[in-house]
Amino acid sequence: MQVKEEKINKDKFARSFRSPIPILLALVAVVFCIPLVVKDPSWLQLAILTMWYAYLTCSWNLVGGFAGQLSLGHAAFIGIGAYTSTALYLHFGLSPWIGMFVGGAFAVVAAITVFYPCLRLLGAYFALASIGFAELIKILTENTTKIFGIEIRGPRGLSIPPLGHAPFHYQFVNKAYYYYTILIMLLIAWFITYRISKTKLGYCLSAIRNDVEAAQSLGVNISKCRLMAVSLSAFLSAIGGTFYAQLLLYIYPEAVMGIMLSCELAFIALIGGRGTVMGPIIGALIYVPASELSRIYLSGGRFLGVHLMLLGIVVMAVMLFQPGGLMRPIGRVYTRWVKKLEPRVQKV
Amino acid sequence: MVIIQALINGVLMGGVYGLTALGLTLIFGVMKVINWAHGSFIMVGMFAGYWLWTLTGIDPYLGLIIIVPALFLLGYFVQDALIKPVFRSEVGVREPIGVLILTAGLWLFIDNFALLLFGPFYRTARTPYSGLTYDVGGLLISAPRLYAFIITIVAAYVLSTFLKKTRLGIAIRATGQDRDTASLMGIDVYRIYNIAFGIGIAITGLVGSLLVPFYYIHPQAGFVFDIRAFIIVVLGGLGSVPGALLGGLLIGLIESVGAQFIPATLTQGIIFAVFLGVLYLRPQGLFGFEKEW
Amino acid sequence: MFTGRREFFWKCLSVVFLSLCVITFFLGQVVKAETVKEVKIGNVLPLSGDIAPIGQVGKMAREMAVEEINAAGGIKSLGGAKLKMLYADSRGDPKIGATETEKLIVRDNVVVVTGCYQSTVTYAATAVAERYKVPFLVPVSVMDKITERGFKYTFRLAAKASWWARDQIRFIDAMGKKTGKKAKTLALIYENTDWGQSTAEGWRELAPKYGLKVVLDEPYPHAAPDLTPVVIKLKNSGADVALFVSYAADAILLTNTIAEMKVNCMAFIGSAGGHADPTYLKNTGENARYWFDVAEWESDIDPQSQEIAKKFYERYELHMPAEAVDVYAAMYVLANALERAASTDPEKIRDALAKTYITTGPAMVVPYEVIEFDESGQNPHASLVIVQIREVGGKLERVSVWPAAAAREGYEPIWPIPGWEQR
Repeated sequence: MQVKEEKINKDKFARSFRSPIPILLALVAVVFCIPLVVKDPSWLQLAILTMWYAYLTCSWNLVGGFAGQLSLGHAAFIGIGAYTSTALYLHFGLSPWIGMFVGGAFAVVAAITVFYPCLRLLGAYFALASIGFAELIKILTENTTKIFGIEIRGPRGLSIPPLGHAPFHYQFVNKAYYYYTILIMLLIAWFITYRISKTKLGYCLSAIRNDVEAAQSLGVNISKCRLMAVSLSAFLSAIGGTFYAQLLLYIYPEAVMGIMLSCELAFIALIGGRGTVMGPIIGALIYVPASELSRIYLSGGRFLGVHLMLLGIVVMAVMLFQPGGLMRPIGRVYTRWVKKLEPRVQKV
Repeated sequence: MVIIQALINGVLMGGVYGLTALGLTLIFGVMKVINWAHGSFIMVGMFAGYWLWTLTGIDPYLGLIIIVPALFLLGYFVQDALIKPVFRSEVGVREPIGVLILTAGLWLFIDNFALLLFGPFYRTARTPYSGLTYDVGGLLISAPRLYAFIITIVAAYVLSTFLKKTRLGIAIRATGQDRDTASLMGIDVYRIYNIAFGIGIAITGLVGSLLVPFYYIHPQAGFVFDIRAFIIVVLGGLGSVPGALLGGLLIGLIESVGAQFIPATLTQGIIFAVFLGVLYLRPQGLFGFEKEW
Repeated sequence: MFTGRREFFWKCLSVVFLSLCVITFFLGQVVKAETVKEVKIGNVLPLSGDIAPIGQVGKMAREMAVEEINAAGGIKSLGGAKLKMLYADSRGDPKIGATETEKLIVRDNVVVVTGCYQSTVTYAATAVAERYKVPFLVPVSVMDKITERGFKYTFRLAAKASWWARDQIRFIDAMGKKTGKKAKTLALIYENTDWGQSTAEGWRELAPKYGLKVVLDEPYPHAAPDLTPVVIKLKNSGADVALFVSYAADAILLTNTIAEMKVNCMAFIGSAGGHADPTYLKNTGENARYWFDVAEWESDIDPQSQEIAKKFYERYELHMPAEAVDVYAAMYVLANALERAASTDPEKIRDALAKTYITTGPAMVVPYEVIEFDESGQNPHASLVIVQIREVGGKLERVSVWPAAAAREGYEPIWPIPGWEQR
């Protein structure tokens, strides 16, 4: 009897490892503790940027991965968020913590009116439309000095007066505060993605992604699913835009609405594995530090633009050899490791 | 008077834009693939034309005889080595997004490799045609742009005839319409793709060299044409040669004539707005056909 | 499970990634090694991207000055300590510029930062230095607001953007008075970023005060493939004088297209930037003849300048642009401040910079009389020179023509410039 119970318990133990949740919780705990140990602001800045990109890619993933439509115009939402909260703050004194939700709302409106109708377009067309959308927003912003009396200042950008440590104004001196803010945002975004992937919305999106007509014939409400995905994605991206504005205290159209930013999100998702839950995070973990490192050690002087050249090669290599992103091999390694664990347990 | 001058300029530049779109529409139409690196190949054509002129003094228009086939081979090779494997792995997928990403990586690579090789300085080729203008009753017509326009029309005609009348051309169109049936008919689909891509890139080489007499040469000069080419292809309808030309003319006219009434920065906005409008209302473009794919 | 190719790829990538991590870690340790007898200066510049040429020139000018300073004995009040220059690439992005500034201050312990050529990058980077209370010397960037934020640690050698506009308009007025051929209408043609917009704002404000009317206000996207529409508009406006703010590519396109379209104006005046680019004359040739440009400096304003320009040319085979001169002078301003501070404490260096008053020496290669900084950190004496592209010894060159004190011997401004038909 006792032997059997032991065996069952150990089986349960091994089985709990199959689900990545305990490991992830451990990792999250570690990440939370980092600012307590690392005080060097430049490392913290790197971590913050990495998490910011991961967060944005997670929200991108809702459209680009789950809904399956490659969007190269997400920077528009980021920019709308950044500009809305900043303009409202500068003009009305509205705290960016509130302003960011207003920005999110505007982004959702933009998404529903322009982005959503384009979703019915086929892949390549949609990508182009998203570029057109983002560029249009950027050009409009660059050519606007004031909207209803609120300063936008076109290409000259908006700068936020630095107030030192001002939590209600969404400003901090110590980087650790920014670190925790973006970490919590990232966890929320990740959690949302995770929940969606396990619920009806996720399955509907998956069905739409694979075959629209089949999904329709099965009674999937295409428009509703797409609307939800797009709105959520736009909302989250906009909030990410506000974070950026408060981190750097200076925004201008090219920085928050530029096409390179949109492309970076797509690249990160690809490298990590678009449509997967962990993909964006893994992608950001690889892309951002690598980009920083290569810029420091490889660019300038005789080696102009080498880091971008390498990025090009990496992107091509990923597409040629591992188009599902690096999520798959990592997932496989994880599963192999878990399987190794089991026989050892059962031998008892 | 001013409007006519602007019109002329718009038409001439529009022709050039149309030519940049021509190669892309062929690739797009046959392979359903966006070649993000299109601008980079235009830049390659530019540098080829520039170095040919600077190092050997061969007339830029004569040099086309060398450059166009060279770029055809380049396109063929790129398609065969890089794009085909990704394409193959996405055979079941309706929209080969993977290829789009691959070409984006290619774009980054080519542009920055050129930056590494040639440095960031701007160059211009002082050819005997640069700055030459014809004065027609007070209206100034830029000679190199005029020649580029004429060659564009000729190229478009040649391409159109090729696609309609030759066996290879028909095979290309057939593959574009329905690759499975084409393959059943005995067409080597991947070879056709190689050729189509090669032709597309050969055309970008043509455009690049045509730009040399009146434009500057720089590793990142191709990107601007890239975006416009995409917009024109969508406007004109993918796979449609007259569509590409007319789309190009439309863009050229908006840019040139529109700028007389509003600041130049806003004409860009209008172009994007028109683009989005067409996508929304008539996604197959102004001259395309409803294609089942 | 894995196909051969995929497994191999994944293994390679993980090995590469891990090695990079290890290498970075060790490199970080090496860089941290303490060195005495050195004053570390951080420099944030656009060393890659499309503005890279000017970033590289900034680096060259710094190196030339610093080598001279070190060869002459370094900072004597610090026992002959040498200046050590650390460079960081901003890639033209304020985000990155700010990050790099922070890295230089925190990780590399620089005591002073200089940079960043582009106003938007400088704006962000100086804010970082202000937070850390490290002095930041701005040699070139012109955005007005850089020294209008009440910062205590930002010092700027260059003139403000609005002063450029002021001197250009003053020049137009002076020419009108001198030759009797007054200009009445202006065309403003400028690239659509902060630089262009802020200069244009200055023009718009000042023009009515000098009796000038703006008949064309045309911002354009500087990456446009065709600027002929803008030139057609200019021709149609019939403006007397056309003012430009352009980067290199658009300056070249505009100049060549204006010649092509045979647009006649009393004068074409650039605002440095692209018009002062070393490759500008090569790419425009005859089309640039008689164009005016504003400069912080030109090599012919005095013998000292000529010498330094010659030295730069011999070393780098490039004509020394005005930005390089500002940088060169800035290095000497720094050395001067370090001598007086006799310390590597950023606070003391900051105080020494604030008390700067230089009237002689290598730093006076600039065309004005005194270098000092007012309460906002701005050099109030920074002023400009107008040059014209003229033929000198069979070649086209930038020749200083105004004000008279800075003009080259024997050269007067040609105003108005001859029409295309007369050339």
